[in-house]
Amino acid sequence: MVERLGNRIREERNTYGLTQVALAEQIGVSRKTINTVENGVFIPSTPLALKIARAFGRTVEEIFYLVDEE
Amino acid sequence: MNDDSKIEIADRLSRRRALMMPLMAVVFLSGQAIYAIGRVEAGSIIDQVKVTAWVAWALILLALLATGGGFLNSRAVRRLMDDESTRANRGRAYSVGFWLAMIVTIVIYGLTAFDTIAPRESLHIIVTIAVAGALVTFGYLERRDHRGG
Repeated sequence: MVERLGNRIREERNTYGLTQVALAEQIGVSRKTINTVENGVFIPSTPLALKIARAFGRTVEEIFYLVDEE
Repeated sequence: MNDDSKIEIADRLSRRRALMMPLMAVVFLSGQAIYAIGRVEAGSIIDQVKVTAWVAWALILLALLATGGGFLNSRAVRRLMDDESTRANRGRAYSVGFWLAMIVTIVIYGLTAFDTIAPRESLHIIVTIAVAGALVTFGYLERRDHRGG
């Protein structure tokens, strides 16, 4: 069973009205990195995942989750 | 207030870099035709110029791959251009370059059972293909990462 990392970044951005650029500015990474994490292309490091969650006032587990695929 | 934020500047430069890297690889590969045709005497002035030019070219391309370029920009912009996802893509590009070098080396070594291949030509081929492969890989991954955003 292959595990994939899902996330709720887009939903949270929409909730707070944040663009990828705005979120990237808050966290201190490039818009490209936000884009790749959001689209599941790139798995963030633990510090980056924590920063993303903190930007939304959430815990890491509330933003990221494992998607089991068969 | 800046018209373009550092994020936007880094984004624009990063997209440009993703286009330029594969292009430089193609130019680098195409330029090797100079070394394949018109044999000159080893050690001649022309030969020395050709070898020096290739060495400089290869080193510059490796430096650009390793650093990400953008030296005319602020440290903040360069840091954004070289953040986590870019470093991961660079790592994968290095991996591709390594495997290309290994495969080409093994092929050339195998060919020596049938024909003589000069060491200098062997090194030239191995490094050219490995460097070009790494540049193309990095450019491809960076362009992929910019999509959908």
